[in-house]
Amino acid sequence: MSNKLPYQREKLLFKVENVSLSYDTREILQNINFEIYDIVRPGIVQGQVVSLIGRSGIGKTQLFKILSGFKKPNAGSVRIGVDQHLVQMGDVGIVPQDYILFNHRSIYDNLKIAVNHCSKKMSDKEKEESIGHYANEFQLTEHLRKYPMQLSGGQRQRVSIIQQVLTGNSFILLDEPFSGLDVVMKDKVIELLVKVSLSTEETTLIIVSHDIESSLAISDTAFILAKQSENKAATIKQTLDLMEMGLAWHPEIKSDPEFIDLVGKIKYMI
Amino acid sequence: MKDILKALFQPFKVVNLQTIYLLFGIQAMAAIILWQMSGGGLIPGPYKVMHGVINVISRPDFGENLFASLWLTTEGMGISIVLALIISYLYVIPFFKPLAAFIIKCRYLTLTGLIFLFTLLTKDGHQLKISLLIFGIVPFFVTSLVAIIDSIDQQEYELCKTLKMSDWNALVEVIIIGRLDQAFEVLRQNFAISWMMITMVEGLSMSEGGLGALLIKSNKYIDLSTVFGILVIIFSMGVIWDYVLGLLRIWLFPYTKIQTIQL
Ligand SMILES: Nc1ncnc2c1ncn2[C@@H]1O[C@H](COP(=O)(O)OP(=O)(O)OP(=O)(O)O)[C@@H](O)[C@H]1O
Ligand SMILES: [Mg+2]
Repeated sequence: MSNKLPYQREKLLFKVENVSLSYDTREILQNINFEIYDIVRPGIVQGQVVSLIGRSGIGKTQLFKILSGFKKPNAGSVRIGVDQHLVQMGDVGIVPQDYILFNHRSIYDNLKIAVNHCSKKMSDKEKEESIGHYANEFQLTEHLRKYPMQLSGGQRQRVSIIQQVLTGNSFILLDEPFSGLDVVMKDKVIELLVKVSLSTEETTLIIVSHDIESSLAISDTAFILAKQSENKAATIKQTLDLMEMGLAWHPEIKSDPEFIDLVGKIKYMI
Repeated sequence: MKDILKALFQPFKVVNLQTIYLLFGIQAMAAIILWQMSGGGLIPGPYKVMHGVINVISRPDFGENLFASLWLTTEGMGISIVLALIISYLYVIPFFKPLAAFIIKCRYLTLTGLIFLFTLLTKDGHQLKISLLIFGIVPFFVTSLVAIIDSIDQQEYELCKTLKMSDWNALVEVIIIGRLDQAFEVLRQNFAISWMMITMVEGLSMSEGGLGALLIKSNKYIDLSTVFGILVIIFSMGVIWDYVLGLLRIWLFPYTKIQTIQL
């Protein structure tokens, strides 16, 4: 069933070079190198979806902080955009592991803050429409008047994602977007993230996760984070070009035998 | 019945509100009975104290004195919370950190030695009382407020950054607006300290009256049932204030109720 869809790699959008991180003498990450390119597909507005997959405790959240500019690595650099400038706090939207929102504001106001600070200037009416559109799309309309504490984890996650989309950030980093969700909800989140990735050509989602199946199902490229040996720092052990393998952009990919086989192999690798 | 009794003595057991009220009633009754039995000598019994309360309330100058105390507390609390908020908000700016740290340590300074200095520095009795109140309360306010600021999750500031807010915007959003409900709770919790201090400072300058002045006068004549009566009134006023401020908090910040229930 798997078949390769036509695509082209264009401009370099994101470049991580020789990133290392250690606490005291303990090395967590070592020589992390990867690049993300603008993927162009004929006749489709297609953003990029990349995942970094690794086991629990390997340093994914630490890498997440480095990629978003909130933590300085001990060595190496993270460059972003067509102009390849060093990443700054705020260049990348983040959806952290525990979906932080402003608890003192209603869901509507949480989203309102995002559009208010959006790089694109909008009239009040456009802002309202934009919020309404996404709320509807992501089944949050009935919750707009509630406070974050009154929402379930999954609902908060959706608010968190929309919030980042509404700021107009092209790059959005997500830490464990599939954790704590049941199978049906995982597929919903995948569906939702695919929608986001199809919204503009520049949109780039970087997913950090230990959920191999869900991460691979949505990505065009995946990087496997693993330790070189016991008690050593983690690095990227393998790069999976899912487009080349013909496994990218197929909605029913989870039931593809080749895909299932790949998931099994990665399980042993990490 | 046996199960309920057992539950009453187990940690973290949740019992219904009715049971709590019942417990409260029984224990209060028991306390009053104990008090009645042990009283008689130097300590006036409940009946005498109740009589004292009624006597105090029916005094022609009672309203005046009560109002003086309430007004002084409100004024002192008002100025103190504004000062404390300013100092605490400045605490996130490195230049002002030492100031906040020093004020927090001022909790260990005793007022007694400073009364003389304050008397020299202030124009009149009212100013003296207000200054002492402020000096006494602000360090406690700042301590609690700074603790709240310190406990804010770093990720909340990171969220502000990703939403493209400036540092100042983040300060306003997270620390000022975002923690207004908790600042209010600090005000409520520390209200007790100022209410406790009020009687002390009122004793220093009695010309304006107040419950504290009344208390000291009665003490002088060893009019114990009046003294206890006034204490009961002061205690009740404190409890009522606490309750009203609690209601006000839920009304002003509806989301706090959700949080306290869930967490
Ligand atoms: N402040 C710190 N000081 C020292 N070590 C730390 C610190 N923060 C994290 N670590 C260590 O870094 C390693 C990676 O942590 P990290 O949170 O990135 O893991 P993770 O891959 O995100 O795990 P999970 O999937 O459970 O979220 C852990 O071994 C942790 O002990
Ligand atoms: Mg993590």
